[in-house]
Amino acid sequence: MSAPTRRAAAAAGAPAPKNSILQTLQAAEMIDTKPVLPAEILSTILDYLPVADQIRFARTSRRMREMVYDDSRWVARLRSMGCWDEAEARRRFEDVMRRRRAASGAGRGSVSTGAAKTAGAVGGIGAPAAAGGNNNNNNRQSLLFDAGLEEEKRRMAQQQQQQQQHEQQVREMSDGFETMKVAGTAHTQQDPATDPEALLQVIKNARSVRGLARQEYGKIYGALAPFYRDLVLAKTHTDPLVFKVFRDPERQAQMLANLRTFAKSDWAQGWQKREEKVDAMTGIFESAVLREFEQGYEFWDVDGRMNKYAHVLALLNGSSAAVELFIQKHPIFSDREVLANSMDCVNQALADSITLEPSRRFFEVLTHKVNEQAGIIERIFPNPGHVFWTFVDKVREDIITEYATPLFDETHERSIPSYLRAISGIFEQTLQFLRSLTPPKGAEKPQELLAKELALKVFEPHLDLYLQDEIDEFTRQAEHEVGEWEKKLSEQDASVESFYMGNFTNRQADKKDFLTSFKKVVMMPVTVLPTTFALPSFPLGSPFASSKPAAAAASTNGTNTLQGSRSQSPAPGAPPTVDRSASPLPGKATTDELAAKAALMTSRLEGIKSLFSIEVALSLVHAAKASLGRLAVFIQLGGQAGGEAREQCEAIFVALLRILGNQHVKPGFDRAVAHLSQYNPREVSEHDKGGVAPLVTFIELVNVGDLISQMIDVFYEQQLAGPKIADRNDFLDPAGLAKKKFEQMLDESVAAGLNKGIDVLMDEVEYICATTQLPTDYNPGAAGATTPDPSSTSFEKHASKAPGTIDMDIGPTRTAQRIRDLVSSHTSMLVGSTDKSMLDVFNGEVGLRLFTAVCKHLKRQRVSTEGAIKLIADMNLYFEYIRTLKNQDLLAYFKALRELSQIYLIDARHAKEMATIIADGDRFGGIFRAEEVYEYAERRADWYQVRKDVERAMYGLECCLM
Amino acid sequence: MSRDKNSQKVTLTSNEGSTIEVDRVVAERSMLIKNLIEDLGDDAIASSPIPIPNVNDPVLRKVVEWCEHHRNDAAQSADDDNDNRKKTTDIDEWDQKFMQVDQEMLFEIILAANYLDIKALLDVGCKTVANMIKGKSPEDIRKTFNITNDFTPEEEEQIRRENEWAEDR
Repeated sequence: MSAPTRRAAAAAGAPAPKNSILQTLQAAEMIDTKPVLPAEILSTILDYLPVADQIRFARTSRRMREMVYDDSRWVARLRSMGCWDEAEARRRFEDVMRRRRAASGAGRGSVSTGAAKTAGAVGGIGAPAAAGGNNNNNNRQSLLFDAGLEEEKRRMAQQQQQQQQHEQQVREMSDGFETMKVAGTAHTQQDPATDPEALLQVIKNARSVRGLARQEYGKIYGALAPFYRDLVLAKTHTDPLVFKVFRDPERQAQMLANLRTFAKSDWAQGWQKREEKVDAMTGIFESAVLREFEQGYEFWDVDGRMNKYAHVLALLNGSSAAVELFIQKHPIFSDREVLANSMDCVNQALADSITLEPSRRFFEVLTHKVNEQAGIIERIFPNPGHVFWTFVDKVREDIITEYATPLFDETHERSIPSYLRAISGIFEQTLQFLRSLTPPKGAEKPQELLAKELALKVFEPHLDLYLQDEIDEFTRQAEHEVGEWEKKLSEQDASVESFYMGNFTNRQADKKDFLTSFKKVVMMPVTVLPTTFALPSFPLGSPFASSKPAAAAASTNGTNTLQGSRSQSPAPGAPPTVDRSASPLPGKATTDELAAKAALMTSRLEGIKSLFSIEVALSLVHAAKASLGRLAVFIQLGGQAGGEAREQCEAIFVALLRILGNQHVKPGFDRAVAHLSQYNPREVSEHDKGGVAPLVTFIELVNVGDLISQMIDVFYEQQLAGPKIADRNDFLDPAGLAKKKFEQMLDESVAAGLNKGIDVLMDEVEYICATTQLPTDYNPGAAGATTPDPSSTSFEKHASKAPGTIDMDIGPTRTAQRIRDLVSSHTSMLVGSTDKSMLDVFNGEVGLRLFTAVCKHLKRQRVSTEGAIKLIADMNLYFEYIRTLKNQDLLAYFKALRELSQIYLIDARHAKEMATIIADGDRFGGIFRAEEVYEYAERRADWYQVRKDVERAMYGLECCLM
Repeated sequence: MSRDKNSQKVTLTSNEGSTIEVDRVVAERSMLIKNLIEDLGDDAIASSPIPIPNVNDPVLRKVVEWCEHHRNDAAQSADDDNDNRKKTTDIDEWDQKFMQVDQEMLFEIILAANYLDIKALLDVGCKTVANMIKGKSPEDIRKTFNITNDFTPEEEEQIRRENEWAEDR
């Protein structure tokens, strides 16, 4: 910098008459001896200087002034005090730009009066410019242009002031006024004595204008620095100017707050000590005010001293100290009326139980008291919303937690079910309490959010334990129930199985009926779940009131079902009323309905009660519902706790399915299948009931399984998918997965059982064929009149060729009817209980096997022409039955069978025609080949008579030879 | 290589040709030298001295003395630069004593620190200068920094008036 600067200095010095030549020389000498620091280092040095020294620095030369005046330097200071708003600055800047464009346009456009002035001012070569400002103007064009512009405007405004001319110009440059005002107030504010009010507002009034940061800071500095320096130097708390200039505590507080803010922009050396001093002074002031507040508090002078000093403290530093004091000493925390004994909940209830009535009263009183305080807080504090929630938080910590924790601990020790109910119930009540508060306006967050936060704080320490206990308890209870049931089962003789065919007539309707009432119950809030002891109605009517009876019912379930089942087992034919009294769900209307239906169902399904019980399933579902009901209240907490609660809900559902599926339903199916495979028709004495006992049992099982599956589905939809606990579309969702697995297990069991079932059914069919078909059925001529068919009602229609009094009946034989009934009753039992494709496969298989069995049976018979009519009737019977199955492939077989039966009808005289029929493959739809048909023809009673003719007709050549 | 980094020596040559041998860690207080060593590699440094052409012998020795004393200081982080308007911290006692030199020397040290890129030393220097001119009149400041007054008297009056708020009263 040295050489050019020296020349410049010399050049600059020349026109200035006041600079003596001696001075210049002196300066020149010094340059030679001293090293000169570059600008960036000077700038760094400036950073370390106090404001006053910076300004003195600016007065040394133009370059230094520029460096000191640099806007960013002052913006930083304003920003450190938190009164620089970049957005505002940008808006102003854009504003100015727009106006400047408009102004220059106007300047160019109008050549009338004042135009020259305007143009001149904008260009910075104003004709009547102040002598001092002219040079300055040229130099400063390199600055930020909006700053330059503002500067110019200000200068222009000064000119206006001086010369008081050109009103027009004033209009055009109306924003000049603003700047002028700023300058004006800045001057007046330098004297604190004249306008103390403005002093207080100085920080608040600071504006963010690019290029004017120094002036803005100057205003603040001018106003506050004297107080600041004075405060720092003060020896005692009575000395400082702050307390002398301002008399009332509000203003003192505000000034102190301002000074604390101002101290933030002081970063010259030693700032720490100065700030400490300010803080210490503030502290003294604060404690004095706080004492006043406390005295007011003791006299409960709400609207007087408390209000006043709370506001003073708010001005000073947000009144946190007053709030703390207020809450710390608040009488509510020692109020006998509020502080209740949570043990009442346990003591007033029956043994091992819990009643939430005392806690409800507790919360009611608390709500009332706290809401009362809300009004008082509003009268005292300037920011009541914040204070109120701080207060509530303290209430939460000192009262609610104190109330709840011993209760939880105690119940946890006494009995888990009441612990679970206590947690869930108190939580619900707490949330209700927090929601029913009437906070003053002005809280920073919505009430709902704060309520949840606070509730979470109360329950956070208990939540993990609770969630774990909830699922453990459910699992334990469910397993106990299933285990109990199984124990009972093993006690009784499993072979005593009875069933009621008569009840199965309207199966699908029954199931539907049952499911509707189940759905109704499930959809209802927990309140109406079975209540063993009817309580007086809960005034709040909120769901938490009900969790208790529900759980109570669940807990008594075990004993009740035990009883019920026992009463049922010795008397399988007991009327539904007995079952009903034994059913675990006596109670209110809908529940009652469901219970009755369940009982009815049970009595109908008596036959399968040794396999699994719909009652057990129902009570498991109820237990799960009670658990879910308790858990679900926590889900609304959201966040991590809510997520955990949700996961636990799903876990309970999964556990329900696991226990129900793997420990109850599946063993039942396995046992049924085992029964099926052991079935031997020849060992069973009675066959009159029209069904195969184990198969009927099994098919009933399928029905019940399906019912349970539908029940689970309803439960899933209502309890999990409905309230968004489980996501139906998320294929990885554990609850959904478990449900799928359960259904799959059911399907597999059903399929395995049906496979066995078909075997058994066919065994039965063959058995019936073998045992009941009389030889005379198809060959009435074979037996003598001495053995009339006992079954056939004597109705002689056809003129029989056979001698004697053979009863002739053109209807199907009894055997065929029984077979038809047997098969159709079993297939129809399945309708609606498993899915259609499986049913189709089952029916197809049954039909095919039936066909085989009938064919086999036919080959063992001897059929006379007279008997053929019966045979045809039988075949028609089968055919008609098969047609109801709506299976085309199957129908072809039976059609062929029907055709086949006609060959027996042909009279022996028409052997040739018979041969034609036998050889006619089309007639049988490709089901029978000619050889096969021939085999059947051999079963004709008169075969040996017609054989020659037939063969001759069939093998024409042979007959020629013979 | 890093094993003997602490014991490694570096030779610096001032503009007068005299050499000073210092520990490598000491020399690396200077970001300039540190980057240089990284660029050239250890071998080149071991074999030939590093020329510091802008710094004369006494100043270089003074700077090295400072570096020796501050050899174990935490390395400055790069993001210090963007927040240069941080509040001023006090100069520690040793540094205060260290900076008790004549003004010429002080300025030389600052320039050297600036050239060698030793930020902590530069800061101490600047603070010392700031303390030196605290409370001085504009005229005194001009003398100290060898600044020529290029204001007209009117300008001087205007600038004084416009900053009246900063006067200590």
